[in-house]
Amino acid sequence: MIQLKTKGRPYNIIGPIVGRVTRDPDVEAEILLVERDSPFSSLPRFKSIITPLDIGNQIDKPSVCNVQNIDHLCNGDIVVVNTDGIINTLYRINSHHNFLLLTERCNSNCLMCSQPPKDRDDIPYFYDIYTQLIPLIPKTCSELGITGGEPTLLGRKFFQLLQQLSFNLPETEIHCLTNGRAFASSNMANNLGRLSYSRLMLGIPVYSDYYQLHDYVVQAKGAFDQTIQGLYNLAKNKVRIEIRIVLHKLTIPRLPKLAKFIYKNLPFVEHVAFMALEYQGYTPHNIDKLWIDPVDYSKELSEAMHYLSDYDINVSLYNSQLCTTPQDLWQFSRKSISDWKNSYLAECNKCSVLEDCGGLFQSNMMKHSDHIKALLQKS
Amino acid sequence: MKERLTRKFLPPDIFKKSAGDTYYLLPFKFHRITSKKEVLINEVGDFLIVPVGTSALIIERKINREDHEELYADLIANFFISEQPIPALAEVLATRYRTKKSFLDYFTSLHIFVITLRCEHTCHYCQVSRVTADKSLYDMSKEHIDAGIQIMMQSPNPHLTMEFQGGEALLAFENIVYAVKRVQQEALIRDKTVTFVICTNLAPLTEDMLVYFKQNNILISTSLDGPESIHNKNRHKPFDNSYQLTIDGINKCRKELGEENISALLTTSTLSLQYPNEIVDEYVNQGFRNIFLRPISPYGFAKHNEKKNGYETAQFLDFYKKALNRILQHNLNGYFIREDYACIILKKMITPFPVGYVDLQSPAGLINSVIVFNYDGKIYASDESRMLAEMNDFTFQLGTLGYSTYKDVFYGTKSIEISEVFLNEALPGCADCAFQAYCGADPVFNYATQGDMWGHRPTSSFCQRNMEIIRYLIELMDSDKKIEKIFRNWITGKN
Amino acid sequence: MTFQISDHFLHLTIDGRLYNESIIYKCFYWYTREFTVNIDLKNETSYNISLQPISKRESSYNWGEVIERIKRDLIDFRLRDIITKETQTIKELIVAKAFAYYDTEDPLTSDVSDRVGFDPENV
Repeated sequence: MIQLKTKGRPYNIIGPIVGRVTRDPDVEAEILLVERDSPFSSLPRFKSIITPLDIGNQIDKPSVCNVQNIDHLCNGDIVVVNTDGIINTLYRINSHHNFLLLTERCNSNCLMCSQPPKDRDDIPYFYDIYTQLIPLIPKTCSELGITGGEPTLLGRKFFQLLQQLSFNLPETEIHCLTNGRAFASSNMANNLGRLSYSRLMLGIPVYSDYYQLHDYVVQAKGAFDQTIQGLYNLAKNKVRIEIRIVLHKLTIPRLPKLAKFIYKNLPFVEHVAFMALEYQGYTPHNIDKLWIDPVDYSKELSEAMHYLSDYDINVSLYNSQLCTTPQDLWQFSRKSISDWKNSYLAECNKCSVLEDCGGLFQSNMMKHSDHIKALLQKS
Repeated sequence: MKERLTRKFLPPDIFKKSAGDTYYLLPFKFHRITSKKEVLINEVGDFLIVPVGTSALIIERKINREDHEELYADLIANFFISEQPIPALAEVLATRYRTKKSFLDYFTSLHIFVITLRCEHTCHYCQVSRVTADKSLYDMSKEHIDAGIQIMMQSPNPHLTMEFQGGEALLAFENIVYAVKRVQQEALIRDKTVTFVICTNLAPLTEDMLVYFKQNNILISTSLDGPESIHNKNRHKPFDNSYQLTIDGINKCRKELGEENISALLTTSTLSLQYPNEIVDEYVNQGFRNIFLRPISPYGFAKHNEKKNGYETAQFLDFYKKALNRILQHNLNGYFIREDYACIILKKMITPFPVGYVDLQSPAGLINSVIVFNYDGKIYASDESRMLAEMNDFTFQLGTLGYSTYKDVFYGTKSIEISEVFLNEALPGCADCAFQAYCGADPVFNYATQGDMWGHRPTSSFCQRNMEIIRYLIELMDSDKKIEKIFRNWITGKN
Repeated sequence: MTFQISDHFLHLTIDGRLYNESIIYKCFYWYTREFTVNIDLKNETSYNISLQPISKRESSYNWGEVIERIKRDLIDFRLRDIITKETQTIKELIVAKAFAYYDTEDPLTSDVSDRVGFDPENV
């Protein structure tokens, strides 16, 4: 598990400070990490100091001292120093899986939500820190995720952040996860269309072709109609779209029919992602409604994925292990689990295809297929 | 870290739209396909195969989500019923409907130029050719070619197809060269792309011609009626072997132009109908990846002889099914070969995309998708229209090159008159037919075989033939998932 | 519905309140391939229909099979008539929406907000 958070004693922190960290005082950055007690002169260049040392009263700028641990921070990482002394890593320089969590608010309540929503208006806070963050992200960043909660709840600020991204990071691919419901309003969709943001792709879940089942899974009345209408409005505005489907007991029975529905009604989508279940968030609480061993859904998964693939719609399988996936689907399997969540079982060390396998979520170490088994090299 | 689960999870029942079990019908049609199964087809051509009597249950409100869970979900998801008077996704239905008809968007694309009537074959089903050397009488003049090009360039379609037919088109090769050059110049000015096709029996093919075709990206369409014995009986070239010339020509074209640029068509004669397997096997042996089992031309039929027509339709259907099964067998054995007529129908059934095929669309192909400029300068609504003219019936003649304007031809009295009958949505028999979305209207066929453009469906061989082919394709798909997969491969082109 | 066979003819009387004119014509249209069909209004509520085989065969025609077919077809056309009536408005709406030159979008009436509050029209 990769650490993304630490804490210390705050001094003079009036509002959240976002900055690049460095241990080297000569490097361009906003936050200096001081690890050794060595004579240093006040460095006006830096906005803030982070240190495990107890030197709070010696520093003349906002700082966090007595910090538990800063070993996880690499030079170049971008963090937010909060008024309560909590330091969150917002961007990791050595990772390919950075994302911006825009809010924890959400208008849905999916049974398998891995990031359960909070009904607290955190948008002003997040908008502030991301406005500070975006100009600092290296221009070489190849891709960035946007997630939540439900990002569109930021309303006007959502479009403003996208514009900042487009301006500051013109070469960066942006993948934004959203339930798409707000785009049932053509106002929202047209606003997004006006940005003409060709590097942006929205990842929108559709869990069934039958509205009642989809609405039940996302626990929101009217959600299916809104999402589909939203997809149409987005397509009219030439926004790039990916459909995401989480594989569990409720979505599996109609999965091949969902594939047909997508082909017939949403043929404009760029990609369809089939995702195995993460054992996190609400999922443990609802596990009886959700759990099905991946080996038991091979047939439906194969039928659905090949149907779409035959019609030249790109498909991928995420969060799955090769040993529990039918071989005809291996071509679609991606190593998708963010490095900070990824794990393998002891059994896996013997496996001949370990390199290509997506592995498991850390959270799935407690709940995974009964059939995980090393695939030994054929002699 | 414990998550505070303050949001209560609600059971599935809460998410129903209607309080009770009321639902509203969306437009759909039904038809029995076997003694046990019927097919339901909605307004945009999506179909559901269900047990016989299901349509009655649906209409009589005898189904509900508890007792018929899967069927109910299928009906909602596929737009057969709705829980609101106006479905929430009416916009989706409207968009799909518009997409289905969008083959009409840019109006006429195919322009047939009958560049000469001269021919050295004497194919017994041909109505039009003349075995003669008289160029002046039977070749299209340069003035007419120019006038035809003028009209073609006025089509609103940015993509045009210029198809040279005959007689034997290559006998007027110099005129083809002239026409192609003119069009290439015009196309540049008007910002249009033009696809050139030459229909030829390949007998007059020379090396120079092949070079020319390659340089100008010309597609070749030829006739192969089956193995040598059948082909030569159908398509007799005096003092020569038509089959051998055709095969040689096909191979040369494949070599010089590439396999994708030469295609072969089949014309079924009464003789052909007895040899479905042999004909299919011939196409496979010659390495073809597609075969078009076009229905027999009615212009060889005696007009108004319903009994004879009925018999020949039954024979054709028998031939078609046998040939189709032979083709499926080849596919199951690993050789990809597609039947094109089935493919047109299957695309309409399975894909959401528009399918324009002039002989099977509504509004009909004539004028909307195709126009014919005859060797003598006369303008016809379709290829069959000019064949009627050869039998001295000028009902579908729309004008004359050099005299008629674009407006005269496409929006003149005759055109307007034909527009009254070219929609199968508005024809008796077709208006309620379950297969309406997959079929089409053919006023010329109706007129030629039954005496009027409306046609009489119960005795129409067009109707009998298409209804049975469509029904049979549905039955096949339902019977075997392997066949369904083959059909899908045909549509996508994947092996 | 009453049936009577006489002299190479099948005569039927059909209750016009159950099967209206449109249904009867649409149904018997398809029988004109095999038969010469006559449709007459008997009185305000019923129709007299007669079918005579076109191919005049001496031996008795299998009227039993024809009658079964007629009963089935009348029901089917009645069902189709119900669909047509019930779906006329929605069908016109779909076609109108499909080919309108102007934007026929309906404004969003359902709620996409969370518990904190969100209005998509106000962005």
